[in-house]
Amino acid sequence: MKLRIWIYFFKTAIINIINNRLIHIISTGTITISMLLFGSFMLLSVNLNNWIKEWGESISMSVYLEDGIDENTKNKIESELLNLEGAEIKGFISKEMAMIHLKNSLGDQAGLLAGLMDNPLPGSFEIVFRDVSSEKIDPKEIKKNLEQLKGVDEVQYSEQWIERFQGVMYVMRVTGLIIGGLLCIAVLFITTNTIKLTIYSRREEIEIYKLVGATDWFVKIPYLIEGTLQGIIGGIAAFLILFIFFSIFTINTVRLFGLPVMDFVFLSQEISVSIILLSLFLGFTGGLIAIGRFFKT
Amino acid sequence: MIQLFRVSKSFGTNVALDDIGITIRKGEFVFITGPSGAGKTTLLRLIFGADQPTSGQILIKGINLIRIKRHKLDLLRRKIGFVFQDFKLLNNKTVFQNVALALEVTGERPVIIRKKTHQALRAVGLAKKEKAFPLQLSGGEQQRVAIARAIINDPLILIADEPTGNLDPDITKDIMLLFRSINLRGTTLVIATHSRELLQDTGQKIIVLNRGRIVKEIV
Repeated sequence: MKLRIWIYFFKTAIINIINNRLIHIISTGTITISMLLFGSFMLLSVNLNNWIKEWGESISMSVYLEDGIDENTKNKIESELLNLEGAEIKGFISKEMAMIHLKNSLGDQAGLLAGLMDNPLPGSFEIVFRDVSSEKIDPKEIKKNLEQLKGVDEVQYSEQWIERFQGVMYVMRVTGLIIGGLLCIAVLFITTNTIKLTIYSRREEIEIYKLVGATDWFVKIPYLIEGTLQGIIGGIAAFLILFIFFSIFTINTVRLFGLPVMDFVFLSQEISVSIILLSLFLGFTGGLIAIGRFFKT
Repeated sequence: MIQLFRVSKSFGTNVALDDIGITIRKGEFVFITGPSGAGKTTLLRLIFGADQPTSGQILIKGINLIRIKRHKLDLLRRKIGFVFQDFKLLNNKTVFQNVALALEVTGERPVIIRKKTHQALRAVGLAKKEKAFPLQLSGGEQQRVAIARAIINDPLILIADEPTGNLDPDITKDIMLLFRSINLRGTTLVIATHSRELLQDTGQKIIVLNRGRIVKEIV
């Protein structure tokens, strides 16, 4: 199609928007709010995901060894641990080292340990899983398998925290899908009805266009452009508002008991562009549904 | 140019046209007349492809309107000018914009649109009113804007429904002279009217309709 026709379509769409500015402002505003909610949810979700990923580094697993095992058995256990997917051995803590750590941690109370005849603490391998969000890492299963190894007494890990956060993430994902879906439907509904209203307000004009030989698409395209413009403006506005609010109100690092727990980051470029594109797509689809219904009738 | 074979059109139980057969040759000037409710407007709308007949066939320049695809009908309409009884002008657009509309939809270049719109407005004597809006014009002037829009594409056929219905005799005479000059340029004209004055001494073909049937054909 020739460039001047597209210029004509854009001009017509913009004139339509100006002529029906109130309804378009309300519609674009609603799209902005919907996409802002969606974006905020994504921001929260992305940060929680990051948080959990970072937690993976601090989730360690202690593999306690039985007393008196020989070097050969210990080496076998070590090689088994090295073969675990995503696992990294941070070190081996011998019985003696474990006692020193305990004494250090007890501080002034370390004298309590003086009466012990034998060192009751077991030696242990300390391992770390870098990516706990990976589906291949199932701490429960790993614990169960390791405890069956000869020479392994017990395996401990921060089980509750992992499960709780995996649960939170699952709920977040499901809630995200539901909220995202509902918001998409709302945006579609709003755009469709706005375009429908502008079409109905110009139905006499459309009839005359058709009578003088305008093709269906000649009449339809400006409305599709209207919907798309609404979508893209709403998406960009939502992104900018989110970015401004993020810049003004968020702190870079969330701290818990003075310890850095979570870095608060903004949406990645890909996600930001995806939100704007989604808004554009919804606006376009809304326009398409509206004109489809109108021309059907 | 226009051929209707055993065309009937019903709206529910109301028969608007009943077994009509008409042949209008290229360059002919034909009046369709008859009392109100005779089926004149329905006949024009069928020729224009605005409605489909209940039965029968309609050929325009050999193209069957019953089988034509919607897109092709849009393109065919660019070769058929229609002057509506109620003018069908857009009140929020100027005279110039109303007339230019028929060329804009064809994707014509703006420079050509301007040139042809000025030509059409000159032809109907409204060159000086191009910036006016329809509601600022008299009935006769609005009618002439509608005619300018109908002839801007150099149509093969010009259809007019009661084009002088609400006009005084002097303006009626002017409009009819305008139609004759358009016809002299080779355009086939089909005009529906119930005005007996308009049909006096025309020397044109007249088709008389009554209750949806052709009751007389004067050649």
